[in-house]
Amino acid sequence: MASVVLRDVTKRYGDFQALHGASLHIEEGEFVVFVGPSGCGKSTLLRMIAGLESITSGEILIGGERVNETPARHRGISMVFQNYALYPHMTVAENMGFGLKNIGTPKAEIDARVAEAARILQIEALLDRKPREMSGGQRQRVAIGRAIVRKPKAFLFDEPLSNLDAALRVQMRTELARLHQTIGATMIYVTHDQVEAMTMADRIVVMREGHIEQVGAPLDLYRNPKNLFVAGFLGSPKMNFLEGRIGEVGEGRVLVDVGHGAPLSVPVSSRIDPGPVTVGIRPEHLKLAANGSGVLTGRVDVVEQLGNSTLIYVDLGGRAQVVAEESGDCPAHVGETVRLAVAPAAAHLFDGRGDVIPRSVP
Amino acid sequence: MTITATASSSLAERRETVTGRREAWAAYLFLAPFLLVYLVFLVYPLFKGFWISLHDWELVGSYREYIGFLNYEDLWYDPIFWLTVRNTLTFVALTVPAMTVLSLALALGVSRRTRTHGILRGIFFASSVFSVSVVTLIWQMVLNGERGLIAHLLRSLGIAPIDFLGHPFWAMPSMVVATLWWSVGLPMALFIAGLQQIPGELYEAAELDNASRWTVLRKITLPAIHRTVILVIVLQIVLQFQVFGQALLMTQGGPADRTRTLVQNIYHTAFRDWQVGYASAMAMLLFVLMFFVSMLQLYIGRRED
Amino acid sequence: MSRDATVQVQNPWLDRLVLVLLILMAAMWLIPVIWIVVMSLKPNAVLMRSTAGFLPIPFTLQNFTDLLQVSAVPNWLINSLIVAVAMTLLTLIVSSLAGYAFARLDFPGKRIIFILVLAGLMVPEQAVFIPLHTMFADWGMHNTHVALTMPRVAVPIGVFLMTQFFRAVPRELEEAAELDNASRFTVFWKIMLPLSLPALTTLGLFTFLHAWNDFLWPLVSATETDMYTVTVGLASIQGNFAQTQGLGSVMASAVFASLPVVLIYLIFQRYIVRGVAMGSTR
Repeated sequence: MASVVLRDVTKRYGDFQALHGASLHIEEGEFVVFVGPSGCGKSTLLRMIAGLESITSGEILIGGERVNETPARHRGISMVFQNYALYPHMTVAENMGFGLKNIGTPKAEIDARVAEAARILQIEALLDRKPREMSGGQRQRVAIGRAIVRKPKAFLFDEPLSNLDAALRVQMRTELARLHQTIGATMIYVTHDQVEAMTMADRIVVMREGHIEQVGAPLDLYRNPKNLFVAGFLGSPKMNFLEGRIGEVGEGRVLVDVGHGAPLSVPVSSRIDPGPVTVGIRPEHLKLAANGSGVLTGRVDVVEQLGNSTLIYVDLGGRAQVVAEESGDCPAHVGETVRLAVAPAAAHLFDGRGDVIPRSVP
Repeated sequence: MTITATASSSLAERRETVTGRREAWAAYLFLAPFLLVYLVFLVYPLFKGFWISLHDWELVGSYREYIGFLNYEDLWYDPIFWLTVRNTLTFVALTVPAMTVLSLALALGVSRRTRTHGILRGIFFASSVFSVSVVTLIWQMVLNGERGLIAHLLRSLGIAPIDFLGHPFWAMPSMVVATLWWSVGLPMALFIAGLQQIPGELYEAAELDNASRWTVLRKITLPAIHRTVILVIVLQIVLQFQVFGQALLMTQGGPADRTRTLVQNIYHTAFRDWQVGYASAMAMLLFVLMFFVSMLQLYIGRRED
Repeated sequence: MSRDATVQVQNPWLDRLVLVLLILMAAMWLIPVIWIVVMSLKPNAVLMRSTAGFLPIPFTLQNFTDLLQVSAVPNWLINSLIVAVAMTLLTLIVSSLAGYAFARLDFPGKRIIFILVLAGLMVPEQAVFIPLHTMFADWGMHNTHVALTMPRVAVPIGVFLMTQFFRAVPRELEEAAELDNASRFTVFWKIMLPLSLPALTTLGLFTFLHAWNDFLWPLVSATETDMYTVTVGLASIQGNFAQTQGLGSVMASAVFASLPVVLIYLIFQRYIVRGVAMGSTR
């Protein structure tokens, strides 16, 4: 187990800058998730930590040691690949023991460690099978087992669940989280799925176009996104964005006109001038309002009943549409005109560059 | 020959690894055994062959005199050389179209994935594993004027048997038939591979469109495998141009030199007449010719991409 | 309209006609071979009188036992076997090593070296057999197994096939092995080679068949009867069939010469036919 430190790491392929100066301190035993849309550089960064890609500039430290020039096989880390990358001609036991065999570990110790890992992952019955004789979920476990056996300084996961079906994905998610608690190792996990990031991470690293946008605990990022991108990326259904204008500026609060009802009164911690802003409101903060109250008025376009909740898509006129998340027994009907209430303290304001305008803590 | 196109594209996607710089010496180690053999037994001989062709060079002894391109000039006035070129071209002109049509017809007939068709495929391909001397032995016997299979057949029909291989007209077609019998398997297998890649939906769609079998063949099957057709034709031209064993063993070039081929002439000039320099000049011409035919295929392939 | 469609889907008469034609064609492929085999099982004296008939009556194995005891044929078979096995092994080794380097390693000059190697595919045997002959003559090495083996190892088709194959192996496998502490050679030896077993089998079979049937080069290099390969040896005894008295022996030699390749074909037909497809779909 070891910490992983990135200092201003960049990656360039010819003219293409894949990574712009990433800096990050990953603590020993921490579970960190890199998340972002495809092409954001998250996999590249992971592969650079693994030693599968060279580092253009900056440095990477594993366990306090600079590893820029260390080849992958001497970095002492394990990786679980998206397509499992199990050796097709070896049995499960051989797959898991391959790394130890390569460093000359005695056979008895290899067997013991493979058995231990198989026990943790409950794949003892599969040890003599070949990869093609197993299901996707079983292969995934073996791939994780292969990583565990070597007792690496850090585990790297490259979208390991994306080839599994939805049910299995949920199950493996919880198992990975449990595995992290059991062995307490440093884990770096890459995914494009924000749900995986939210549910498993100690800290999330949101990336976009080669930049780290924001780093923090899942709920912290969810509640206090630094910019429009992070706000829109985390959370499902997505945060609603409305174009608005700051009209009146008061003491610690501004009035924002979103054009579809009464202005919103939002608490802010710093002084800002009147002008255009983007207002972000999460669906769970929009509720159907009793007649006569509420700030947004519109026509119900689609109603999705999910059982435990109901998603109501409301056209506000023009191009604006918002989603409200109501309780499961909500009586909304398509076509009817509704009014939506907003908790003003839950609204986020973003300036013209997309950066958040800090709110005051209510 | 069909290859450089793919080579360049996938070599372009290079991976930069941490170990990148150290990888080079490992790569050269991996390459060394092949490159050594390749340089010694293919590249060097090719250049040496050209060098020899610039000499009056005898097989045995040490007589070798540099004469520039005189050997090539002599070829121009050598009636035997032109005769063998003509014979070879005749053989190619008879064999290649026949081979292409026959192998395509057989492929169309046996490409279905049933057991019967599988066995038939196996039979048509099987003759390809024989060596040339086995094939010539078989066909010399079959075509023999007195004791041959066809002679027996003709006699039983009351027709006087023909000594096909000694016959001025029949000798060349005999070689062609033996060659077709021997090597139809490979082009047939290429066509089958091509045919089996055509999506079945295309045929279903054509059926729904009421197309006749003939129309399906012309409008769907042939266009879909036209690359294979080109490949087969070029491979066959290159291969049949090198015809040697059949002529040497079946007809000894006869009767009256009517079946003497280019490669046979090279062989005789070098190893019977000992004129290695002159034979090399012919070999070089053959190489240049084959090279251009191969390039032609590459060119056609490129143009279509 | 629907009537036409059904005619097309079924059309049993056309299918049956095609099948009959195919079976007739197949007979043309089989009958000469059967006839030769039958003759090899008849006494020479009987064949002197008539070569007709498709039944080995009277039956004898004399032709075969004679060949094994008093002829050069066993020698030729051994020569062919040594040359074919050596050529196959060497081709597999050098092709897989070089193919791996071209497919997966990075080194200066890779592109140009690869193109130069592929260009070798366009060099016909006839363009190099004379200089090769003078080279081996200079070294005093004609009539050796080495001389019969080496020139064909230089043909780059194996390198090309292995390069194509290794390129298709997922990169992740190698990366996983790299993280599993495997050196370059371990990756090649423990991961890539076992994975390429089907490709190696196909390449090996084709190399063996080519080696066994090689004609031009053995013809000029092996001039001593004892060093003939069976292909050249069989050519050397093809004389005038009208007069020969040992017709049965000649046929038996041909059967001996073909037996190994036919057996290989029967056992590995699947690999061989797939190999053709492998070479054609690029």
